[in-house]
Amino acid sequence: MIEVKNLKKTYDVKRRDGLFKSHRETIEAVKDISMRIDAGQIVGLLGINGAGKTTTIKMLTTLIEPTSGTYSFDGMDAIVHPAEVKKQINMIAGGERMIYWRLSAYENLWYYGQLYGIDNSVLKQRIENLLKMVGLQDKANLPVETFSKGMKQRLQIARGLINDPKYIFLDEPTIGLDAVVTRELHDEIKSLAKVKEKGILLTSHYLSEVEELCDYIYLVNNGELIVEGTKKDLTDFVFLRNQYVFSTKGMDKNVYNGLKRHVRNVDNDAEILFENGKAMITSNVELSTILAGFAIQESLTIVELHKMEPSLEQAMIKLSKDMKKEAEREILYKSLVG
Amino acid sequence: MELKVLKATITKEFQVRLRAYPVSFMVGCILTSFYTTFGAWLMYHYFFRGQLSESFGSLTGTRDYMSYAIVGSLMYLFVVRTCLNVSRTLMTELWEGTLESLMLAPFRRVSYFLGNMLLQTITTFGETSIAALIGVLFGLRIHDFNPVGFIIAVLLSLYCFFGVSLILGCVMLYTRNTYITQNTLFTAMFLVCGITFPKEYLPMWLRVLGSIIPVTDCVSLMRASLLGGFPQDQMVKLVIRAFVIGTAYIALGMPLMKKVEIIALEKMEG
Repeated sequence: MIEVKNLKKTYDVKRRDGLFKSHRETIEAVKDISMRIDAGQIVGLLGINGAGKTTTIKMLTTLIEPTSGTYSFDGMDAIVHPAEVKKQINMIAGGERMIYWRLSAYENLWYYGQLYGIDNSVLKQRIENLLKMVGLQDKANLPVETFSKGMKQRLQIARGLINDPKYIFLDEPTIGLDAVVTRELHDEIKSLAKVKEKGILLTSHYLSEVEELCDYIYLVNNGELIVEGTKKDLTDFVFLRNQYVFSTKGMDKNVYNGLKRHVRNVDNDAEILFENGKAMITSNVELSTILAGFAIQESLTIVELHKMEPSLEQAMIKLSKDMKKEAEREILYKSLVG
Repeated sequence: MELKVLKATITKEFQVRLRAYPVSFMVGCILTSFYTTFGAWLMYHYFFRGQLSESFGSLTGTRDYMSYAIVGSLMYLFVVRTCLNVSRTLMTELWEGTLESLMLAPFRRVSYFLGNMLLQTITTFGETSIAALIGVLFGLRIHDFNPVGFIIAVLLSLYCFFGVSLILGCVMLYTRNTYITQNTLFTAMFLVCGITFPKEYLPMWLRVLGSIIPVTDCVSLMRASLLGGFPQDQMVKLVIRAFVIGTAYIALGMPLMKKVEIIALEKMEG
């Protein structure tokens, strides 16, 4: 199990003020992040750009040292023993990085295998299996520079599995991949976690990907953990109000006004909009039976009545908008006070 | 040291160079050696009119200026090519986007750098041999060949240049700059390390600077093994001094490289 507590990373950076002037500034890339990854679990790390996802991954992969906080890797202090951690982890990043373009696919995997000290007989078999898994067995001896973007990404995935890691860090792994390859990769990620019991941390901009794959999600913003939980926990956190779509046969302005009065009797704060012959209702109250009761009372035939399930994507968009508003409010407040 | 990593790095670098050998760069380096030799030849024949001061002979142990300058420029070519390529390895990894994946692997850096150094040595030997043939046309003559001294000079030069490469590599990776760093260092080496004239002609502070760069002693040692004129005890002194300075560079360079790697990875955050 990987467990980090109160992880923090600050950078001392030099900012240019002009041609010859500069000043030093301390940037808090990660302020306070605590999380945990269990074997066999796919954990999502979500956040808008600059939230601190990549810095967090770099600390977890021991590429950079945290400024403060603790990092336990299967009971071992990972900050003290980074070399031991490196043997049991790997990272797959999006894009076309992390592979040598002038080497062939086979040569790339062979070289990385040597760096991990894998026995040659084991390595040969593993390379063949990995190339088969990512569908590059027929292109094994071609230089990577002749590969398409998708092929390079697939090779990167094979590279990330070369040392048979116990924990895998996937940083936007499906960027640039077509739908078919993405589907295959998703299946592979699920199999790695559920069949091979590997712990996986996934960051992605594709929220559908996170929704589909992740057992547990951490949402970070501005270097801090905002919320954690399952997909449902997160959407519930953002969408505390229920959303309904309601329409009946012959629904006109009169019916709509009657509905408005009926709903407001139950929840005075409910928001009701009339669009394209449908009523869109947002309320803190459970309204399904109230809306059905209205139709019976008015002898109307219900065409549509359903409670909308918010997607994680909607939750993220709403959350980032809320945070932007909050930041703007804070700036305004400071300018007024100070 | 991990032999597996050393062998793999040599193989990988060989494969890369086989596919994308920078021929124009190699020609450029040989041309630099040619221009240095040609410049020295012009100066010697048309500016000094073949006249050398008495002090030159007493300081260098030879009266053959052209051989003195050509051996110096060949050593300069050797140091530039090895140092340049070894020190730039991590910068190249950074440019090619492979630095992170490399740093993720749990191997000892010394094997990686030595692998790069050894392959570069083979290439540089080839390039220096071509430059040496050009040098013969300008008057390079081997007066007093000392095979043992030559082997020691080659091995010690490799050892010392490895140390210089590490330090240079640290500066490059830290500043994320290769051109200003390498050109400043190589120009300084050309001036203070006795490449085409004895370092004793320089003011004291520049001589001190030259004496802390191991290239100076390696060049003197190579000249002594090819041109003679150096007493045995002085050669032993040179060997010991070069070894000590080279060791200091390596001892400082290895841990410093580790720190600079981390800084480079942090800088990748922007």
